[in-house]
Order: sequence, then C-alpha cells, then structure tokens
Amino acid sequence: MFKKPSLTFSLILIVGFLTVCPVLMLLFGSFSEGLTSFGSFTLDKYIEGYTDPILREVLLNTIIFTVGSALVATTLALFLAYVNTRTNLPFKFLFSIISIIPMMIPHILFSVSWVLLLNPSNGILNRFLMQMFGLDGAFFNIYTLPGMILVEGLLDLPIAYLIIAPAMRAFDVTLEESSKVCGASVLRTLFRVTLPVLRPAILAAAILVVVRSLASFAVPSVVGMPGRIYVLSTYIYRSISSGFAADFGKAAAIGMSALVASIALIYVYRYLTSERGKFVTVSSRGFKPTLLDLKQYKFPVFLIVGLLCFVLIVLPVLVLFYTSMLPYSMVPSARAFAMMSWNNWIDVLKDPISLLSIRNSLTLGVVGATLGVVLSIFVSYVIVKVRSKASGILESLSFLSFSFPGIVIGVGFMWFFVQTPLYGTIWALLIGYIATYLPYGVRPISSAFVQIHDHLEESSRICGASTFYTMRRIVIPLLVPGIVSGWILMATMFVRELSLSVVLSRPGSEVLAVQILHFAEDGLWGKLSALGIMMIFLSSTLVVAATLIGKKLTRMEVVDT
Amino acid sequence: MEIRIKGLIRNYYSEGKQIKALDKVDLTIPANEIFTLLGPSGCGKTTLLRCVVGLENPDGGEIMIGDQLVWSSEKKIFVPPEKRGLGMVFQTYAIWPHMTVFDNVAYPLQTRKLPKEQIRSKVRKVLGFVQLDGFEGRPATKLSGGQQQRVALARALVAEPKVILFDEPLSNLDAKLREDTRKELRRFLSELKITAVYVTHDRIEALALSDHIAVMRAGRIVEIGSPKKIYFNSDHRFVADFIGRANLIKGKVIREEGNHAVFDSAIGQIVGLNSQKIAPGQEAMLCIRPEFMKLATTEVGEGKNVFCGKLETLVFIGEAYEGEVRIGDTLLTTTIEPTEDITEGDEIYISFDPDHCFLLPV
Repeated sequence: MFKKPSLTFSLILIVGFLTVCPVLMLLFGSFSEGLTSFGSFTLDKYIEGYTDPILREVLLNTIIFTVGSALVATTLALFLAYVNTRTNLPFKFLFSIISIIPMMIPHILFSVSWVLLLNPSNGILNRFLMQMFGLDGAFFNIYTLPGMILVEGLLDLPIAYLIIAPAMRAFDVTLEESSKVCGASVLRTLFRVTLPVLRPAILAAAILVVVRSLASFAVPSVVGMPGRIYVLSTYIYRSISSGFAADFGKAAAIGMSALVASIALIYVYRYLTSERGKFVTVSSRGFKPTLLDLKQYKFPVFLIVGLLCFVLIVLPVLVLFYTSMLPYSMVPSARAFAMMSWNNWIDVLKDPISLLSIRNSLTLGVVGATLGVVLSIFVSYVIVKVRSKASGILESLSFLSFSFPGIVIGVGFMWFFVQTPLYGTIWALLIGYIATYLPYGVRPISSAFVQIHDHLEESSRICGASTFYTMRRIVIPLLVPGIVSGWILMATMFVRELSLSVVLSRPGSEVLAVQILHFAEDGLWGKLSALGIMMIFLSSTLVVAATLIGKKLTRMEVVDT
Repeated sequence: MEIRIKGLIRNYYSEGKQIKALDKVDLTIPANEIFTLLGPSGCGKTTLLRCVVGLENPDGGEIMIGDQLVWSSEKKIFVPPEKRGLGMVFQTYAIWPHMTVFDNVAYPLQTRKLPKEQIRSKVRKVLGFVQLDGFEGRPATKLSGGQQQRVALARALVAEPKVILFDEPLSNLDAKLREDTRKELRRFLSELKITAVYVTHDRIEALALSDHIAVMRAGRIVEIGSPKKIYFNSDHRFVADFIGRANLIKGKVIREEGNHAVFDSAIGQIVGLNSQKIAPGQEAMLCIRPEFMKLATTEVGEGKNVFCGKLETLVFIGEAYEGEVRIGDTLLTTTIEPTEDITEGDEIYISFDPDHCFLLPV
C-alpha cells in the first residue's frame, strides 16, 4: 500500500512535532524571562511562581477540587453501572443516553447553566426556593468549592461510567455466586467481592476524572473565579490574561508541574487499564448474571436515574433557552413569559465578533476534523498494520497528548507560535487542536483497522479483485464507521474548544467558547445563552451531517451490487 | 487441474535467524483429487498453500497450475492471486461483515463483471448446493459458525474454479459440528470433480477426507500416499507416529521372508511387513497399532507373533478399553473390546497378524 518505513518515519516526524514541540517549548519557556526573550536561561520565573504566597491556597483548592470531582463522578458512575448491569430496573436505554448525550453539551455551557440556576444573587433555582420557603439568603451558593465539585463531577460522570460499566459487564459472576453460596448477603457480597475485584477499573476512572478536572478550565473560570476560588488552570490563566502584564514565563513554570502531574497520573491510568494491572476475572464465557430484583426500591432507584438524566441533559439546554429569551434573569412566571422576545438572538446575530467566532469555530470544526481524521487514518494504519518498533514509538507519541491539560499546552504552543507568522491566526488554533485531540481520532479509527483481519483483504484478492477494487469494496466500507466517529468526536471537540483557545485566540481569531467566556465575564447571560444554543445547534448539525454522509457511503456499497 | 511445484524455497527471518519454511519442496498434486497437506504447526503447510494462491512469494522455485506458470523465480514470473482463478476457504472464513450472504457469495462474479441476472442465478444455485437456500438477504455476521463456513465454501465455489484451497477450515468449529461438517465437505467435494488442496494438522480430518496425503515436517515433504498406505504401512517413522497411535519396538532384522522379514526385539522374534527391504543385520523399528493386537486370557497355541505379558493398566473409555501390557521391559499400548472381562494384573496373551505390523528404518 505504501512504502512503509518512510511512511512510518514521516508520521513520527509530524506527530512528534505536534506533541513534543509544545512540551519542549513550555520547558524552555519556563526558563525564560518572557515571550520576547525566548531561550535566555533563568530560574527567575520558577522562584517567582513557586514562592507566590497565593500558590499554597491554589494548590490546596486544586487538590480538593480534583479529588472531590473524582469522588462525585466515580460514586455516581459506580451506582449507575451496578444498577444497569445487575438489577432489573426498567428503561435501561436511559443508561446509554447518560453515557453519550452529555458529551454533546459543551462544558462551558453546562457550567453557565448551573450558575444561572444556583448563583447567590439571582439564581433561578435559588430564587424559586427562597420564594417557596420564605428563605432570607440563597439556598445554595454555586460560587464555592462544593459548587465547583458538583458541576465538574456531573460533567465527568459519563467518562467514569464508560470505564466502569464495561468492567462491571465483563465481571465473572461466578465469583459473586460462590460468595452467596458461602452464605454472604447481597450487600456483603457487594462490598467484599464485587467492589474489591473491580478496584482497578474504579481507580482508573477516578484517576481519569482527576486528570480531566485538573485540566478543566470551564468550571474553574465560570463557577470558581466569580467567588475568587482559584485552581491551577485559572491561576495560569490569570497570569497570562492580565492585559499588559501577561507573564508567560511564570505561566510556563507553574504549568510544568500541572503537566508533570498529569503525565504521571495518565501513566498510572494506563497501567491500571493494561492487561498487567487487571485481576484475572474477566471470563469470556457467556454467563448472564442473575439480575437483582429491586422490588419496592424499583421506583426510587428509577427516580434517581431519571433525575440524573434530566439534570445532565434536559435542564442545561432548557435553562439556556429560557435565559436567551429574557432581558434579565428571573424566576419563571406569567410576567417572565410575557416579557419573552428574540432580542438577545438578534443582538448576537448583529454582533460582528460573535459572527466571526461562529465562522471561525465552524471552519476549525470542519477543516480541523477533516485534516485530523486524515492524519489519524495514516497513524492508525501504521500502528495496527505495520507493527514495527518504529510504529510502537508512533503509538506512544500519538497518545501522549491524551494527558495534556489544554491551557498548559496552549502556553507551550504560545511560545512556539509567537516566533512564527501563524501567531494570532486561526491556523495556530487548528494546529493546536489537532495536536491536543489526536487520540480522539486515532482511537476509533485504529479499532476499525483492528477489525479488518488480513484474511478479509486476502480473500478478496483470491476472488479476483484488484488491490484498488479491494480497497473500494472491502477496506474503505469497513473503515467508514470508525472514520465517521473519529470525525464527529474531533469536530464537536473543536467547535466547543475552550482551554487551548483561551490562550491562543487573539483579536481576529475569536472562537465560540472564548466569546461565550467573555459574555460570562461581562454578565451578558441573555446573549451568552443565545450564542450557546447556536453552538449546540452547530455541533449537532455537524454530527447529523457526518452520520448521514457515513450512512450514504455504506449504503453505496449495497446499491452498487 | 494439476498443480506442479518444483524446488520451492521460502525463508523467514526472525530475530536475525533464518527459518526455512519451505526447503526445496517438489510436489505434484493430481487433478480432481482431494489432496491434503498434513503436519504439525510450523511445518510449512500453510506457507505452501499461500504460495500456491499467490499471497506469499517464494524465494525460489516454480509453481504451475494446469499449464500456466504462476510463479518462477528464475523467469521472474508472478501471477497475482486475483489472476490465478482459484477458490479458497480461510481458517477464519474471512466473511465480509458489512455484506449480506448474497453479496459475499456474488463478489467473485462481480469482479469478473458478469451480467446481474447470471450472477443471481449462479449464487442461488451454489447456495442451494451448500444448503443455505433463503439466506441471501441475511447479514453475514448473523450466521452460526457452521453457516459462515458454508458461505465461505459457496464463495470459493461460485466462480467454478478448477482448484479450491482450504486452510484448516474446520479448526474453528466445536468437536461435534466439526465431525458433521467434515462428512458434508467430503460429500460436496466428491460431487464436484475439482482439485482440492486441504491443509490441516488434524490426522483424522486428513484420513477421512483425502485421496492422497502429503505429510510435512520442517519445511519438507516426508511422505506422500493414500490414507490407507500411510496408516497401514508408512515408510517413515515420523509419519507412522504422527498419523495414528503406534507402538514402536526397536530391534534388528534377522532374515527376509518374501514381503516380510523376521525381526529380533526385546520381546522376542516378530514377523512383519518389510516393504522397504531392510537387509538382514540392519537395525530397524517395528510399528504395531494398538487396535490390531488381539488379546486372550488363555494360551492360543503356537503361531507367529504371540507374546505373553501382564496387563498393567486398564482404562475404560466407552467405546473400548485402553490397556497397557508389560512384556519384560517393554510396555505396549492396546485397544481392548469394551465387553472383555479382564482386570488389571491379569496375565494376558497378545498376538498380531504379520500383515498388520511393519518395519521402518531407524
């Protein structure tokens, strides 16, 4: 198909540039005085950054925030996974909704919707509860660490669920059965057998949530900053966003420790999810577990699952849409509905910067995902089908960025782009996006390649098909589903991208999430909500379009015969 | 169609070491026969098959299919697999998961650009032949293992190739289904008048299906013969041992008696077939299969090849007993009628016909 060694080599160069370059630039940058004096060696920024008296509090906040989010997300995920695989709860389709749909709602919008509901001065839910029960103060102040943990935990629930649920499903039920035969009760079996055996999966999920909340910028900026609660990502943001005094050297020095922590945690995560880390419990025998009958608890448990669905999916969109129609925040009432208008929508559509950000994000989504997928196809081909030592290096390189906190790697890229004409253009964002989100393309496409056993191609040749005909009828159709999901993942990530963009975006290269952040900082909730709904609509359109094109490509195969 | 292979060489390199997967193989596969390549894993049988199909390129030698030279290292001829007009059934079946049964089977005809009507009737006919009528619209992944195997067979047959190749097609089926499918395959192939090359490591499959068997070891063909020849009177110790259970007794030839020879061993003098004419005075090996030994609890009178020993172990396995008889220092395995009334420790007389044991060179 290709001249293999040279293909592998050039891919290593490209992917190596994308993933290693920002790390090296971050490292060199942290030893420099500022963006204009790159390469001058100095320890000043480390000393300045790490002796800052605020840093202690920031680090403590970071630890509470990440560990707390991990606890919330993992506990909820564990509950959902257990209820789904082990009980006779009706309407099991809700679980696949919980695990997929929330990923379509951008984190910044999810955070904003909770601020709109629970902020202390005019949060809709707070005001509603105050009126209901005649409270003096707000029922719950979202601008606190518990508020941040609640929102981040809910955001990371789907990813934790996607790790724990398969482990729960692959669990060898005879282990539980033998515990019951030994006389243990359901609860005792759960705590003495099931949970300990699943410990690697649970730990892996928790670690991944820690990494993601460490990298999270949406929640700390929208929920944390108004209450002056800073974590590492917002602390870094503050040092580069303060107008003339932007200090990229200090940002890099602080960012280094976030990056190192993140890489170390991902290393542990990969160990836990590799074969070595697992207990030998996953059996391939198709034993169906006997489902636990919930009896009278069926309804309450169902209520919790349904409520989670509502809170994760329906509520954010509803709140945003409601807010977008109103001039200012108010509790739903006859008066509120009477005041509804499209003014915010019209304002946004007249605002040149908002329009530019829509155009930029759309371009980045479509062009970026397409380029990213093309690169992912070649990378996956080499990883799966060539299998040499060099392709092993390529695999490690292409998954390296999985552990990159966006804002930190953005600072690294900043040091690079400042020295190129790409600085301040959307092409800088494009390169940064592809580098950071490459694993999202490589993962689905390489598993599609794995599915294509060599025999499938070989038997086509024997049936009289040329190499080209084999590509067209066998290889491409089998790859299409993987390519489509890779494209969808990348495109939706790019349309909503915030943490990298917040560093790299400059006047002229505004993108949707950054514009939304600006609206949030200015308290323009109505405009923000209108633009947010447009953003959701935009990425849903891309998802639908990609799915339809994918269907058409596979259908062509059938019609063709 | 006949397949002629001359001096075929194929080398692999693994960690700097050269492995001879095919070591100058010469072989003629007769037309319209079921021909089996049998051997332990790593003997080169699959490599040989893949060279014939064209999925692998040998490092030397020639392959002729009918009167077409499809590979020649010397003349630099390589006919790609799609131009060789063969059919093949893979171990994994290689059924395309994104297509229906019809599309899978129609594929070879579509590559040959046949008119649609003709494709439809041919596919229907071949699906009928493998007893999959009415499965046309079924997605290929919604079939059982046995059904997928038959789809693979139908796809290999539909373009009416002159040669069909099988690479361990039954090894992914469970034991009972494998037995049924083996019988079915035998019936299909004998109806077809087609050259079939069959690769397997399962000796029972080879014996049950083949007209001729070539036993391979370490990249070479050790022996070629009909199943009965190889089973009853193999020329080679490795083959005799590989093709069935065998007692191998060491000794020396004393004298020849026509087709037979008298052989002196630790348990006494034995008369056995000597088709390889091993000369008196030579060291040799005698092979006797467990099922050819007759047992008696009382002396059966004077005769050739009668020995007295002690029944050391006796294991009931349903269709028979498996017994071990000790004669001096020699332990022989025998198969005993399941109705026989004996117990471990009994004194026992065993005898076997001189035509049912054979001498092998050491």
